[in-house]
Amino acid sequence: MAQRYLVEPDVGFVKEVISLGGVDVKKCFQCATCSVVCPISPDTRPFPRKEMIAAGWGLKDKLIGNGDIWLCHNCGDCSTLCPRGAKPGDVLAALRMATIRAYAKPRILAEWVNDKRKLPILLAIPAVLFIVLGLITGLLDFTPGGDEIVHAKFFSTWLVDLIMIPTFFFAIGVFGLGLKNFIADMHANALAEGKTTKTELNPKEVIQALGRVVLTVLKHEKFNECGENRDRATAHMMVLFGFIGLFIVTSIFFVVLYIFQIHGPYSQLNPVKWLANIAGISLVIGSLLMIRTRLSKKDQVSTYSDWFLIGLAFALGLTGMLTEMTRLGGMAGTSYFLYFIHLMFVWSLFCYVPFSKLAHLVYRTAAMTYNEWAGRK
Amino acid sequence: MDKKYGVYVCTGCGIGESLDVAALSAVAGEEGFPVQQHAFLCGPEGAELIKTEIAEKGINSLVICACSRRVNFDVFRYDGCIVERVNLREQVVWAHPRDQFPKLTEEEKAGGDAFDRVQMMAEDYLKMSMARVKKVILPEPYKVESLSRRILVIGGGMTGMAAALDAARAGYEVTIVEKGEALGGHATHWRRQLPAGMPYAEPIAPQAAATIAAIQAESRITVKTETVVARIAGEPGNFTVTLKKPGEKIEFDVPYPLPPEMKVDENGKELDAEKLQEVYKEYNKGRNDILTLDPNGEKFGAVVLAAGWRAWQPEAGQLAHYGFGELTDVISNEQFEKIAKAGKIKRPSDGREAKRVVFVQSPGQGDDGDFAYTGAVTSMVALKQAKYVREDYEDGQAYVIYQHMRTPGQMEYFYKNIQQDPGIFLTKGEVVKVGQNGDGLVVEADNTLLGEKIQLKADLVVLATGMVPVTVDDPVINLAYRQGPGFRDNAIYDGYCDSNFICFPYETQRTGIYAAGAIRRAMTVEEAVDDAAGAALKAIQCVESVNRGVAVHPRSGDMTFPDFFFQRCTQCKRCTEECPFGALDDDAKGTPKPNPARCRRCGTCMGACPERIIGFADYNIDSIGSQVKAVGVPSEDDYSEPPLRILGLVCENDAYPAIDMAGLKGLSFSADVRLIPVRCLGSVNVIWIKDALSQGMDGVFLLGCKHGDDYQCHFVKGSELASIRMKKIGEALASLSLENERVAQFEIAIDEYDKVPQIINEFVESIEALGPNPFKGF
Repeated sequence: MAQRYLVEPDVGFVKEVISLGGVDVKKCFQCATCSVVCPISPDTRPFPRKEMIAAGWGLKDKLIGNGDIWLCHNCGDCSTLCPRGAKPGDVLAALRMATIRAYAKPRILAEWVNDKRKLPILLAIPAVLFIVLGLITGLLDFTPGGDEIVHAKFFSTWLVDLIMIPTFFFAIGVFGLGLKNFIADMHANALAEGKTTKTELNPKEVIQALGRVVLTVLKHEKFNECGENRDRATAHMMVLFGFIGLFIVTSIFFVVLYIFQIHGPYSQLNPVKWLANIAGISLVIGSLLMIRTRLSKKDQVSTYSDWFLIGLAFALGLTGMLTEMTRLGGMAGTSYFLYFIHLMFVWSLFCYVPFSKLAHLVYRTAAMTYNEWAGRK
Repeated sequence: MDKKYGVYVCTGCGIGESLDVAALSAVAGEEGFPVQQHAFLCGPEGAELIKTEIAEKGINSLVICACSRRVNFDVFRYDGCIVERVNLREQVVWAHPRDQFPKLTEEEKAGGDAFDRVQMMAEDYLKMSMARVKKVILPEPYKVESLSRRILVIGGGMTGMAAALDAARAGYEVTIVEKGEALGGHATHWRRQLPAGMPYAEPIAPQAAATIAAIQAESRITVKTETVVARIAGEPGNFTVTLKKPGEKIEFDVPYPLPPEMKVDENGKELDAEKLQEVYKEYNKGRNDILTLDPNGEKFGAVVLAAGWRAWQPEAGQLAHYGFGELTDVISNEQFEKIAKAGKIKRPSDGREAKRVVFVQSPGQGDDGDFAYTGAVTSMVALKQAKYVREDYEDGQAYVIYQHMRTPGQMEYFYKNIQQDPGIFLTKGEVVKVGQNGDGLVVEADNTLLGEKIQLKADLVVLATGMVPVTVDDPVINLAYRQGPGFRDNAIYDGYCDSNFICFPYETQRTGIYAAGAIRRAMTVEEAVDDAAGAALKAIQCVESVNRGVAVHPRSGDMTFPDFFFQRCTQCKRCTEECPFGALDDDAKGTPKPNPARCRRCGTCMGACPERIIGFADYNIDSIGSQVKAVGVPSEDDYSEPPLRILGLVCENDAYPAIDMAGLKGLSFSADVRLIPVRCLGSVNVIWIKDALSQGMDGVFLLGCKHGDDYQCHFVKGSELASIRMKKIGEALASLSLENERVAQFEIAIDEYDKVPQIINEFVESIEALGPNPFKGF
């Protein structure tokens, strides 16, 4: 006979889920409508019913390492059709935030990122960091002269990269550590709950699965299977492609600068600049659409974590575009100031990503890859 | 009264088109009954016509040939007149459309050997009705010797107090007897009470104290604590009640009827009346006979029985798998409530704080039934008690493991609210075992929503045991009735006292005794208070009906009552024993003593009486017998192929309306049957069947309600008694050398009109197969 599962509810975890946006989790009366109506839930051991029960009982052990909560794309069909208004979609979103917080170390940063009272401190950190380091190293010039506005004259690229590159690797490190634990837990959970029969993780197969999943993600295939929130796919795609475009542009700049020693700003006729502009505009419009959608859908919970991420994306795009426009318009002072603000947001993006909702980029991809590998339908 | 007859034929609703009204009128004329026709008898003109006849010609016995007596009864009601309705519309014309039962052609009419079955039927019904009006008389009300309007409430809990308040506020004097030291009952032992009003969210403060205060402020209510009923004698409107202290032995303690084994001698032979009386006196030594009235007894008109419940107790070892009785921290919900009332929730074993409490809602062991006597109450109590755990401890955890979570009506809001507490955990599941684990308990459950097999650590385990009506242990009402002090056959209701809680709530099997609250079924205070209002109104209806000399229910307003021709009584006691309501007592010789105010006018006594000495003013052996005899039974002397003639005695409560509905829906059945409505199949006297068969009718069927444990009989036992009598009729048939199959009984419910054609036609076919009655034509 199988070992009896010792149920140890954690009232604190129930409260955490509620505070992270799963406010209606306890309303669930386990009818399974959610699992039935979910357009993307697998047929075997479908979500989100089992997650709803576990969440209502505060069974952290069944949820934090659970890959299924990441397969959910928050279509919202379950929340709309739930006869009790338990909003499974919001509960799963809360569980994802709880997961991000559980794997992202140091924990204190995770708490700050998701606490609106700490926002001024979080934004002050890069400001202080840049100014202090700039003053110490002398790489910050408050009186950049010349006819042409060149932001590097104000903020030396050396200074920028001196700060950004370690931050970038910090984020990679935090993700790496979290991901390692997450994958191990997810595999253990899948085995325990009978979601897979494959006991050994095969790296080659997993990488092949990743390839397929990346394609699915880029095409937003899962999003398009959604019913209720299908319109979110467009905005999400714009923001995602905006980020990818800007990442490519930044990489090119980086390579061109350090290998070919060519400084910006580029001509507007340069194809790289075209890509940069398109990506920037896409980011601004995409995040604006997201804001509008969230404001109009009063029945779905939008937490601080949601607003933090959208706000950051929008601020990044907006400050970037304004910096460029004021530069082209010859408003030197304004442009330099906006560039400073823009840099603060870029740093925030790098540094806070593993602790914010944006970490879904990594965890969801990992979970989808795992699921693809596990062969669950 | 000198009867002056009048027949009124309505030709509307298709009657005139289908029937030869002139020929029908001629039938009445042959009897010397004057006939009037009208195309719209229930309209203002038609009604005026009849009124004029009554006023000008002094007509007082009317035969109205129109629609069913179940419709337009208000139109055709004439005070001081006998009104008989011939159901031409539903059961003749509509149930026998001319496309299936064609009229005779001119040729056939000329031939003389053809007959029109539908016309024949209409004429028979008219003859039967005319025969009946000749035999019945207008009833006179029965008045009790002295009427008391006081209402006795047994039980001073929430139900009894609410019933007393309702009755008192309606202007009636009420006495509450409570066996305990104070009013309030169980409700005074609770920390909090289930919500009783919007928003139905949280348990509320117990209402007992406020209700007790209201009782004390009400001048019409007398409270007698530490008092129980020794006996209730007499009949509604005139009960003589003896009260006593609990445990006291007095001469007016109610005597018990002899158990069956004491009614026979050592050889199994029945004792004679004298000997029986002797044994009975010995058996009830020190207690006066039921017919001896207590001169100091208090008079009451009706009784509300609100004696309530006690906690269910398992038999030894019954809940061994839960360690109940072994483990001190496995307790019942009642014990838990007492702990909660006393203060913070502590474990009985060591007095430590109980922060993890598991509420077990069903006994497991394979099936998904809840504990006995729970209803929906224990689900809601578990939710309430789970909340106590959370109130007492910030980190408290309460688990409810149920097979059924029953929160009916508005209580769904309560469930929804309790469910929201982050420390209350609910799952369906079967608790299989409770065991000791260190200094705590471990609960094992199967098939839960969290997994196949789970275990939980617990400080305290609470079992959701049910509410046993106290009538299981004791009759409580102690009626000085010959049939015994309590209710009969209560086992089919698990001891709850009720006659039929769906159709007739509050009405018990004893007229004048109305049950309310947990004595009727497991219920919450809120429900019990509603129930109390119902029972109080029933009690008031009872005393007011007795005052007017009419039946209370289900034949509300019926002024007739059974009349006995005692000179011919053989003291066989069948009427006394078979009365479903214990209305009849008997004296030392066995002569029945009727108590008409206890009677529900079903006529079961009339059906039972072998001497046929019991009857009602408008319903008796002769009135129905004459109707049977009025049916024309054609023989080969009349036609070369005479039609069959089959009599149907149909219960007027369910079967008769079902047949009306069949007609209304255009469902047809054999035109060779003649139907006579009866008050209840229990009132069918075998003589009618013998009469029918000996005059040449080919078969007789009884159509009535379902009997058995889930009976639908308005009079509890009528259809069951009829079925017993029908089984015994075989001997009588054998003496006539007739087949048993010529008499049958069928069951039908009021909504089963679609089955009417099949039931009737199949019986007719079976009689056709047997061939005609050999007595036909003699």
